[in-house]
Amino acid sequence: MELNPQELVFYLFALLTIASAVVVVTIKNIVYAAFSLMVTLFSVAGLYVFLQADFLAATQVIVYVGGILVLILFGVMMTSGSLDLKLKLERGQLFWGGVVSLTIFGLLLSVITNTPQWENVDIGASQEPTTRKIGEMIMKEEYLLPFEIASILLLVALIGAALISRKEVRDE
Amino acid sequence: MPVVPLISIILVAPLAAFAFFGLLSLTGRNYARQDLVSTAAMLVAFVCAVLLFTNVVADPDKYSHDGAEIHSLTWLPLGSVNFSMGFLFDSVTSVMLLVVTIVSSLVHIFSIGYMHGDPRYPRFFAFLSLFSFSMLFLVVSDNLLGIYIGWELVGVCSYLLIGFWFEQDAPANACKKAFMTTRVGDVGMFIGMMMLFTKFRTLSLYGTDGIFALASNLTTADMTWLSIAGVLIFCGAVGKSAQIPLHTWLPDAMEGPTPVSALIHAATMVAAGVYLTARMFPILTADSSLFIAYVGAITALVAATIAIVRFDIKRVLAYSTISQLGYMMLAIGAGSYVAGLFHLTTHAFFKALLFLGSGSVIHAFHAAHHAHDHDHEHDHAHGDDHAHGDNHAASFDSFGIDPAQDMRHMGGLRHKMPITFVTMLIATLSIAGVPYIFSGFWSKDAVLVEVLYRAISWNSVHHYILFSMAALAAVITAFYMFRLIFMTFTGEPRNQEMHDGAHESPWKMAIPLIILAVLSFPIVNKWSFEKYVKQPAQPHVHAPKHATYDASQDVLHAQLGLSDAHAAEDAHSEDAHHDAAAGHHNPDHDKAHNIVVPLSFVIVIVGIGLSALFYYWRKISADAVAARLRPIYTLLWNKYYFDELYDGVLVALTVAGSKVLGLFDLRFIDGIVNGVGVVVQAGCARVSGWFDNTFVDGLVNLVARITWSIGGRVRRVQTGMIQNYLLAVVGGVVLLILIFRALF
Amino acid sequence: MSLQSYLVISIILFSLGIFCVLTRRNAISILMGIELILNSCNLNFAAFSRYVTPPDDISGQIIALFGIVLAAAEAAVFLAIILAIYREFSTISPDETDTLKG
Repeated sequence: MELNPQELVFYLFALLTIASAVVVVTIKNIVYAAFSLMVTLFSVAGLYVFLQADFLAATQVIVYVGGILVLILFGVMMTSGSLDLKLKLERGQLFWGGVVSLTIFGLLLSVITNTPQWENVDIGASQEPTTRKIGEMIMKEEYLLPFEIASILLLVALIGAALISRKEVRDE
Repeated sequence: MPVVPLISIILVAPLAAFAFFGLLSLTGRNYARQDLVSTAAMLVAFVCAVLLFTNVVADPDKYSHDGAEIHSLTWLPLGSVNFSMGFLFDSVTSVMLLVVTIVSSLVHIFSIGYMHGDPRYPRFFAFLSLFSFSMLFLVVSDNLLGIYIGWELVGVCSYLLIGFWFEQDAPANACKKAFMTTRVGDVGMFIGMMMLFTKFRTLSLYGTDGIFALASNLTTADMTWLSIAGVLIFCGAVGKSAQIPLHTWLPDAMEGPTPVSALIHAATMVAAGVYLTARMFPILTADSSLFIAYVGAITALVAATIAIVRFDIKRVLAYSTISQLGYMMLAIGAGSYVAGLFHLTTHAFFKALLFLGSGSVIHAFHAAHHAHDHDHEHDHAHGDDHAHGDNHAASFDSFGIDPAQDMRHMGGLRHKMPITFVTMLIATLSIAGVPYIFSGFWSKDAVLVEVLYRAISWNSVHHYILFSMAALAAVITAFYMFRLIFMTFTGEPRNQEMHDGAHESPWKMAIPLIILAVLSFPIVNKWSFEKYVKQPAQPHVHAPKHATYDASQDVLHAQLGLSDAHAAEDAHSEDAHHDAAAGHHNPDHDKAHNIVVPLSFVIVIVGIGLSALFYYWRKISADAVAARLRPIYTLLWNKYYFDELYDGVLVALTVAGSKVLGLFDLRFIDGIVNGVGVVVQAGCARVSGWFDNTFVDGLVNLVARITWSIGGRVRRVQTGMIQNYLLAVVGGVVLLILIFRALF
Repeated sequence: MSLQSYLVISIILFSLGIFCVLTRRNAISILMGIELILNSCNLNFAAFSRYVTPPDDISGQIIALFGIVLAAAEAAVFLAIILAIYREFSTISPDETDTLKG
């Protein structure tokens, strides 16, 4: 079968996503794992682009790569002189964890393959950018309230994180 | 006047006084003026009794017959049998109510003085109230069950009051003796009641289905049975009224406080036996009547002879009471209900007076005694004569008599205690039967006349014997009663110390004496009594065949119906007894009367004269006569050895039987018990102990061990590592999904 | 480039995330596993939004957006907790923070 360039890029991103995710899960050096996670997140952002979700892709890059990943790296650095922590895996846990994960994978795969409605469904997508639409829906329409709640959630999380990580908490 | 409410008040008032004490006692306190509560209750009852009596006065024709008015309710239906409870009101009830309430009220008032300062003063009055209630309940009950309940209640009160000073041995023993001796009679009475019950299926006395109506239909075949039932019920009266052979408890009961003796052991409770016998009058047969008459006559004579030699003033009165109760029984046994109840009424007053008078003397002597011994305690000296018997017995008394009650220490008291002397003299003249002006003459005369009349009309040897015994007892009565008066009130003081300290009793004690003295005059004479109390018929008493008087004529009158006035009058006297109120037209009755009245003069003169010769003028030395008649004197002094007989035979037999049974218990029962114990210990206990240790404990330990080991393993699940938990959660979810996929 | 290809990528990411969470011995690794799971979910939302719902309905993208917000908040709190644990136990290995062990 002939691959057009678009598809080629898609599969490239797909492969990159999965490969880097496997690295995240398997590599022992946690700093490498974090950087591998960055690759995964970028790839997912790319996949979003293929899905005509341009705003989502941008947000993914900004929030995940620019925020969460930096946070993780800070965590890695602050919690250890053990950046090169040797992860010791208990055999039973490893085995059963693998079994469970594979079972879940198999189950979900069977769901996908056994759901005929999802085969070759393509209702079509608008080609215009989604940013304006998302902005309107969030700020004017039905997602206003969830948006505000999300903002409060973020505020609470911020305060809570600051409170938990403060040293003085221990001293009181 | 309405009968039921008034009777209810009469019953409730003393009961409420007792309940007041009883409920207050639950809180651990006593009301110091319980005396006022109890006395007020009795006075209320007295007023109601008077109001009820106006009913009888207003309508003597209706109420003069026994069982005139019955108010009865079914109390306890048991299958086909109904036990009823109710009030009976007739002239006899009314008279009894009056007697009981009057004597009880006066004794209450007397006791306020006599018992003053006693440590259990409120309790004494509460017991008096309870007794009054019980006695009144007995009197108004219309059925044998109610009478029996009241009967036992008065027995309990008697027990409580005789043993009022229970700290000492003598009252404690006396109350036990009184209770147990009367109980012997009560057992007989109960068996008699059950005999009647099995026959008639009822315990009600009156009405168409009452015992009397049913008993009157019995044929001659049932006479033996009915006689036995009558005698058994009379057994209860023998115990309660202290007739021979169950009389021994009454003299000992004098250990109780003197007002108690006056109320219970002279006027009311002991008369309850007479009352019961009178109530059962219609079912008495000729045989049971004769039995009752003999018991009464023998009691009258024997008790009188014992009284001659007693020195304890209260013991003399006790034997006198027994003797007079014998007269009443004799009258009823001789077929004269009216004379028996009449003597009961008059005796209640003059004997209560004698007891209260003796109480007054004892009180005075105690006060004197105390003043002599303990000058500083003079204020507290009253009423605790119980303290004396112990303290001074050794110095004054060689026969176990309380010196304050010993007539040999008395003498010349008439100047010291004029009121007591005069009132007691009146009572003594009354009991001795001084003709015409004293009530005792009328009632005793009535008894003698009725017995002699029965003897003449039936030409019965038995009744001649009974009459002679009664007449002899009358002589002796006059003798010993004046002996008491002479020894106590006349002559020189024999114990100067006690005499000097004696003084007249306070007004609280004197007033009841005066009232009772007034009542000892014939306020109610025989004819008026007979007007209000009509003799019930005795359907099963007939004159013997050889009787000179033709009794069949009266029977004929009754059977033909009440065709004329004469028959109507005789309807209640078909036992050939003519109603005295109808006029003395009966020649036999007239004859008896003409013999008895002159005889009474002789009796009184002989009795009093002899007494005066011995104890007033002292022409004859009593000691010399006693020495001459040593065997008789000893016999009398020892009261015919009744107590010794009972001690020697009954008590010894009981003790011996108890010992045998005790040995049986010790050897046999204990042996069995011990043997069983050994077997059980060796066999069962060992086995069961082993079983316990091995299986039961093993089971428990096993459970514990299993739990321990399971816990030890399960513990490891709790690794404390969050990922293990998470693995379990996710694994569980996966497993569930797989299961659902497999199933659906 | 069909819906299924996205879904397959998504479930691969999800399974890897689960495996990571269950097996890694480092709290930050666990956080990374969680991020993988969240990303797979967001990818799912976006894919369904693209292929199944009408073109002018982009609710799926907005939900994915909220998912990213939640992920950010979660990461912040998670790291704060990790810091507190580290200060307490001087380690962030779940192996050794087993005070609750029975």
